[in-house]
Amino acid sequence: MASHPRQRFPEGSNPFSRRTFLTAAGLAGAGLGLAACGNGATSGASSTQSIPLPRVNNPVTWPLSSSNPAIANGRSPESGATLKLYCWVAYVNQKVLNNFAKKYNCQVQVSTFNNTAEAMSKLSSGQMDYDVFFPTIDLIGPLTESELIRPLNHSYIPNISQAWNAFTNPFYDQEWRYSTPYTIFTTGIGWRKDLVNENPYDMANGWAMPWNAKYKGRVGILDDYREAAALGMLKNHLYDLNTTDLGQMATSTNSLIELNSLVSTQIDNNDYVNIPSGQAWIHEAWSGDMASSWQYLPKGQSIDTIGYWFPPNGKGPINNDLMVNLKAGQNPVLAHLLINDLLDLNNAIENMSYTGYMQPINGMTPSRLIAEGIIPPNLTSTVVRESDFNNGVRELALDPQVDAQYQQNWLRVSGGI
Amino acid sequence: MTMTPEKPKVITASPPAKTARQRRISMGWAAFAVPGILWLVFLFIVPMYTIFAVAGGHLNPIFNSPVPVWNPFAWSGANYVAVYHDFVGPTSFIGPILGRTVVYVVIASILSLLIAYPAAYFVARFAGKRKGLFLALMIAPFWISYMMRMLAWIDLLQTNGYINKALVNLHVISAPVNWLGGKSVTVVLGLVYGYIPYLILVLYAGLDRIDQRLIEAGRDLGLSRTQTFVTITLRLSRPAIITGMLITFLPMIGDYFTNQMLSGNVATSMIGNVIDAQLLTTSLQSEGAVLSLFLLVILLVPILYYVWQSRHSEDSVM
Repeated sequence: MASHPRQRFPEGSNPFSRRTFLTAAGLAGAGLGLAACGNGATSGASSTQSIPLPRVNNPVTWPLSSSNPAIANGRSPESGATLKLYCWVAYVNQKVLNNFAKKYNCQVQVSTFNNTAEAMSKLSSGQMDYDVFFPTIDLIGPLTESELIRPLNHSYIPNISQAWNAFTNPFYDQEWRYSTPYTIFTTGIGWRKDLVNENPYDMANGWAMPWNAKYKGRVGILDDYREAAALGMLKNHLYDLNTTDLGQMATSTNSLIELNSLVSTQIDNNDYVNIPSGQAWIHEAWSGDMASSWQYLPKGQSIDTIGYWFPPNGKGPINNDLMVNLKAGQNPVLAHLLINDLLDLNNAIENMSYTGYMQPINGMTPSRLIAEGIIPPNLTSTVVRESDFNNGVRELALDPQVDAQYQQNWLRVSGGI
Repeated sequence: MTMTPEKPKVITASPPAKTARQRRISMGWAAFAVPGILWLVFLFIVPMYTIFAVAGGHLNPIFNSPVPVWNPFAWSGANYVAVYHDFVGPTSFIGPILGRTVVYVVIASILSLLIAYPAAYFVARFAGKRKGLFLALMIAPFWISYMMRMLAWIDLLQTNGYINKALVNLHVISAPVNWLGGKSVTVVLGLVYGYIPYLILVLYAGLDRIDQRLIEAGRDLGLSRTQTFVTITLRLSRPAIITGMLITFLPMIGDYFTNQMLSGNVATSMIGNVIDAQLLTTSLQSEGAVLSLFLLVILLVPILYYVWQSRHSEDSVM
């Protein structure tokens, strides 16, 4: 039997050895019978039988399979069909979907998931016939290797040419074989300017802002094991957010445990509500959440009381979500057309007015977003710029054993909250 | 002529053979047990075995999700060892959480009893014709979902919520209190609020069944009101107290939602939160299964005490 990913590792040993890696991969092939596993994804460096881990310096081109072809050119949209979306709650503007349904004489049905684990669990059962799914980039490997998603036919998605240059041939899915970008966001610090004396822009290390006992009970971090680990690392000037170094992981964990004892940390994803309401004064925050937080301000409170800090040098977490066409879906043409529709600039702006999250599309500039009234001028720092992708750090797919260790560390920090 | 003694007749104790009609009737009665047995098999035994299979299983290396092992001879102890290390060793963290859970639940149970008993006593003894009205008022919270009630408390307890405003206006506090910022008192009171209706109903049922003539006899024999209450009412209501406490204690100890809603803070984390987090994390679901089994063992203690106490009460009545 394969060694258990959560086995405890003696100090100083390398828990993620090639041997355990191959054992796990062997089990994948033998036990799961996933035909695509190890059939030759062209990866820059990975030579193991396991799923390649895309990195900026190790781009991955996911393999194409004769058993899972893209749809043919020139097909007509399925008529009178019900297109099924599977996404996060409040993730796509209903107005955009209604327009799409009207345009193609179909219905659009949205199902939601609460976390990606739940989503992957349902999708891997093979029982769901959703057409379009919105995964994070770390899921692209398992999705392609298990043939849960269909390769895209770009002839149906002309708007893909509107994506920023940084996304024309992304490292996590070379040639856009299986995915197109959807939302992009940074992770930074949101704070109440009227209640907190410190300004992270004036601090030597803004990531250390939450570690201040003065604000006990008023500090929150995101309820996400990777984002929390990233905060702990960045506070300690560690910029490899995908590290497999147990020492660095422990440094991050210990910093977060120290934060708990200092400020009695709130753990939630309600940054967009808790900061405007004053429930939290300092909160690790997503740019998209902070971009829409002003809509939750109590009556009479100035919009200028909210701030969002992302390091001016761009050295912070930057990530994006994807759109993919699920193989089990019954409406592949409509699925392609919806993906194309969501890459249209006007629809993207309409979407952002609802979700707060922007898309990496040409024309989505700070000045345009301010002019459209989507974000107030004092929250311009929530706008992600194309250049940020050169300097930012990403939270990417990890080997299952490493991932399990991150999860376990997070459980120690959060106590399950 | 000699008389040979008659052989004594042997009377056997075998029951008379059932007629076909009697057999049909007894099978018909037995059929009433079928729904209960099916319920037990599909909603208890199968899920319980699945928990064991997941606890003894391994992880799918691609999705990092648990793969149950159905053959008990192939079960692995790795997840049990991992949970053991969560309790003991340099990276342990569950011990303080379990201790906190027990403290919270014991305090909440005692508070619930102190509040529920007088309320149930009043309805059972003094409400007269308005018993129905009072009972309806007591179960009124059940008409609204638990989540909605907790969301309402969030609004009330916010920094700028009505409770802080009222307390400041009454000069009870000088500045708003951050009730939702990880305060144990908020979580304990949330548990009391959430589960007290169950306790009141059980206590009411027990107190209402006490024969009033016994109380009158006690008074007639010279006992004071207090002595009557202690020696008769309280003693006779003990089974109801134990049942009620068990009914509230068991869900309280596994509760995770109250804490999540009213605190969301590490400082008040309970064992239910740890299990919930493990079950929502694919790579930790097997350990969540082990911890669930561990909690089950802990909860067996009050259940066994309840069974013993019930039998003891029956024996004393006999």
